[in-house]
Amino acid sequence: MIDQQPFLTTQVGSWPRSKTMLKTLRGYQKGAISRKDFDAVADGEIRRTVELQEKAGLDILVDGEHRRESFYAFITDKVAGTRLMSLADMLDYVEDKAEFEEMLRTMDMPASAVKNPTCIGKISRREPLALEDFRFLRTLTQKPVKITLPGPYLLTRSMWVGALTRKAYRNHKKMADDIVRVLREELMDLRDAGCDFVQFDEPVLTEIVLSEECDRRTFM
Amino acid sequence: MHVCRGNWSKHEEVLLSGDYARLLPALERMAVDQFVLEYATPRAGDIEVVGRTLSDRQLGLGVVNPRTDVVEAVDDIVGKAEKAMAFYRPDQLYLNTDCGFSCFATRSVNVEQVAFKKLCAIVAAADQLKKRYG
Repeated sequence: MIDQQPFLTTQVGSWPRSKTMLKTLRGYQKGAISRKDFDAVADGEIRRTVELQEKAGLDILVDGEHRRESFYAFITDKVAGTRLMSLADMLDYVEDKAEFEEMLRTMDMPASAVKNPTCIGKISRREPLALEDFRFLRTLTQKPVKITLPGPYLLTRSMWVGALTRKAYRNHKKMADDIVRVLREELMDLRDAGCDFVQFDEPVLTEIVLSEECDRRTFM
Repeated sequence: MHVCRGNWSKHEEVLLSGDYARLLPALERMAVDQFVLEYATPRAGDIEVVGRTLSDRQLGLGVVNPRTDVVEAVDDIVGKAEKAMAFYRPDQLYLNTDCGFSCFATRSVNVEQVAFKKLCAIVAAADQLKKRYG
């Protein structure tokens, strides 16, 4: 917990990635770069991001999410029963391909940038989602720190791809039970490790109430 | 918990628009300490919508748009916080960005130099507010 003080300042999570970080992430995903080398590069980027926040004078610091493919798809690195899929890969499994492509175009959706954490099996934590991120961040600053995690609704909505997920779960709700369990375990671990602030990201909630097409699935 | 209206494009017109009114019944029932909400963009509607209903929690008030190249004026940020103070005490009110600067690794919505200046503007506004009300 953070002591109540007036007008505390922080940021929401992610920081612009450097070319080096992006190249290293791609290499790591392809298996051409070891986890140790990937972490060494990410550690450096995180260090710089923390220094900049200190310099700016923020009160609660984040690590900039440099290790993450995106704020939610990164869970495929950590959670069993998931697979990182490009939207191009997903096209084979969406019901109405033409409509899906039209949606990507009109929304200026970055089809190449968006990768989906598709559920393809029983979900469980292979390793903690962000506990190591917290431990590293904790060594870099005396200030309170914030860890961001994808919310259960966002994950349920994006991870369910019927043709692939039905083999593991009968319906969304069964899968959501396991997503909630994974997030709850992570939250407890972060709390026990002394994390000051955990933020769950649920950007999709607005899509449900603000988008004209309620059934539209953007996978993000 | 953080809610926004999309952060994948610098074209504001393709992002979602509307206030939080229709989400309030869901937000009210959530056992969370703080809602971290977009308010730097006019697409998020008026602070009253959330202030009237959720002032028993903390508010992470979004005061800078991560997708624009222009750094918000400190006075404008102070003004936004002062409007929120009709509903929130200073110790309930956090100042933050509207969203991250690169939710997707390959889709950074800003460059580091601008992002840094935006953080500095938030801190400068908080310093003014603390002097005035702290």
